[in-house]
Amino acid sequence: MTNAAEFSGVTQSYGETIAVDNLNLQIEEGKLTTLLGPSGCGKTTTLRMLAGYITPSAGTITINGVDATRLPPEKRNLGMVFQSYALFPHLTVADNVGFGLKLRKVPAAKRRELVLHNLDLVGLAHLADRKPKALSGGQQQRVALARAIAISPSLLLLDEPLSNLDARLRVQMRSEIRRIQAETGLTVVLVTHDQEEALEMSDVMVVMRAGKVMQTGAPATVFTAPANRFVADFLGYENFLATADGSLLTVRPEHLRVGTAGGTTGGAPATGLNLPAVVTDSVYRGVDHIVTMTATDAAGQQTTLVSTTRRDTLSSDQSGVRPGDRVLAQARDHEIVRLAA
Amino acid sequence: MRGRPVLGTLAVLGYIIMIVPILFVVSTAFTAGDALTFPPQGLSLRWFGEALAYQPFISALVSSLQLAVVSTALALLLGVPVTLAIQRGKIPGKSLVEGLFLSPLVVPELVVGLALYQQIMIGLHQTSFVALLVGHTVLLLPYAVRVTGASLALADPAVEEAARGLGASPLRTFFSVTLPLLRPGIFSAGLLSFVTSFNNVPLSLLLQSRQFRTLPVTMLDYVQQSYDPMIAAMSTLILAGTVVIAIVAEKTVGFAKIFGGINK
Repeated sequence: MTNAAEFSGVTQSYGETIAVDNLNLQIEEGKLTTLLGPSGCGKTTTLRMLAGYITPSAGTITINGVDATRLPPEKRNLGMVFQSYALFPHLTVADNVGFGLKLRKVPAAKRRELVLHNLDLVGLAHLADRKPKALSGGQQQRVALARAIAISPSLLLLDEPLSNLDARLRVQMRSEIRRIQAETGLTVVLVTHDQEEALEMSDVMVVMRAGKVMQTGAPATVFTAPANRFVADFLGYENFLATADGSLLTVRPEHLRVGTAGGTTGGAPATGLNLPAVVTDSVYRGVDHIVTMTATDAAGQQTTLVSTTRRDTLSSDQSGVRPGDRVLAQARDHEIVRLAA
Repeated sequence: MRGRPVLGTLAVLGYIIMIVPILFVVSTAFTAGDALTFPPQGLSLRWFGEALAYQPFISALVSSLQLAVVSTALALLLGVPVTLAIQRGKIPGKSLVEGLFLSPLVVPELVVGLALYQQIMIGLHQTSFVALLVGHTVLLLPYAVRVTGASLALADPAVEEAARGLGASPLRTFFSVTLPLLRPGIFSAGLLSFVTSFNNVPLSLLLQSRQFRTLPVTMLDYVQQSYDPMIAAMSTLILAGTVVIAIVAEKTVGFAKIFGGINK
């Protein structure tokens, strides 16, 4: 396993604020790595340092084993796709895609061939002679993608590439990018704040917060075993219960079931969670039914619990709960995640 | 205009206030009579012929055009790099630099003119063309900096970053991406600068000489001595020239783009 890029002790500070704090990160070759986190977590700064638009305050960045820390962007041979697309408005789609090739002095005939090949890859060969303004947002984004991969970059960098697209197109483009990555074998670094996008697209997920890496791993690993409360929170875990020995348990809302004190649903777990709770709210939201409860955890702290159940699997006594009802919040052993802190 | 009576009325009033005086001048220019009166007496082109045959006007027109073209070019050559440095560069005290380049807008032109007269014409023994060139270039800098700055501020910096990422050096990026993006801004800055220089009176009044005198000053002199329709004819010719420039600007770039994409 070789690394296409590597950050060692990289720090980036703007005056007092530290955007990236002593970052150590390996970008594996041929993989799609996602930098995931809320705004201000340093993910975009990290990507822009890799691209060469920002020089780190400290530390080194190597690309393909060569120190690139102070190399200007034009000497890095990386393909970057910007959130705003950043197409050249005065050039046609074909000239946009051929821009990097022209700078590399690829002969006109060969250039035309490569441009059409790359436009074909994103399904837009028929729009080669249009100006970017005549294209929809989704099409512009594809052109930006074709332009970035046309130069055969050593890494493809995507800065929130889907956040300006509408929901349906966004989901479509996820698999589109995955397909293109599979076809080209490119190493991809994707920056996103959308956990679903990261889970669906990544080979490796890097969850960041305040300039630090919180957890790195395959999506399935990070999702099922978040390293800490922040990662759990960010990935949609909602129920946090302190234990008597000082550690923290968490259960996803869709794994938390509401059992009534008398008869229980699905059988009360012998070893799992079976905590008395009081219903505070019970709402219908289309596909799901959401029950909110309060309970006291093992450390004696009052906590809010949320349970979401698909309506079609809902039993009658679950859908019948009302605010004020005394219930049992239940989860099986394997649904309970133990967090470090 | 429908459903907005106040706005509509104001717009119409604005047009009337701006256009009616011009109509008076234009119509008197076509008079066949000898006096600058309204309504014109008869219809003829004789005063246009007289204006074009009047040597002081023609040589002053040539001087004004020379001065306007060269000072506009100088202002753009200085102003565009300054704008780029202010907007994209990492220079300390950006607002101070910008303020410096915008200051000719507030400094009285007579003061600038007097300083140039003392230093350049008396001190350095330069011709009044050189002094006027310096004065007009300084006067036009705010337009060059401000107007191109506005169009640069509207441009997405990521576009230039994209060019760098694809392998373009900073210089290459400037010529193949930034400059084309700025073209409407530079064009409008040039247009504004040209008109400002061409119309300028205070500086020209102070720095003129017998060899070099601009058209507005010459026309001012003329009006003070003789009050005949030739001045209206000359004004109409200048107006026609302005209209031609406006039409060319609209056809080539479009006003919406020139003035910052208001209607985009």
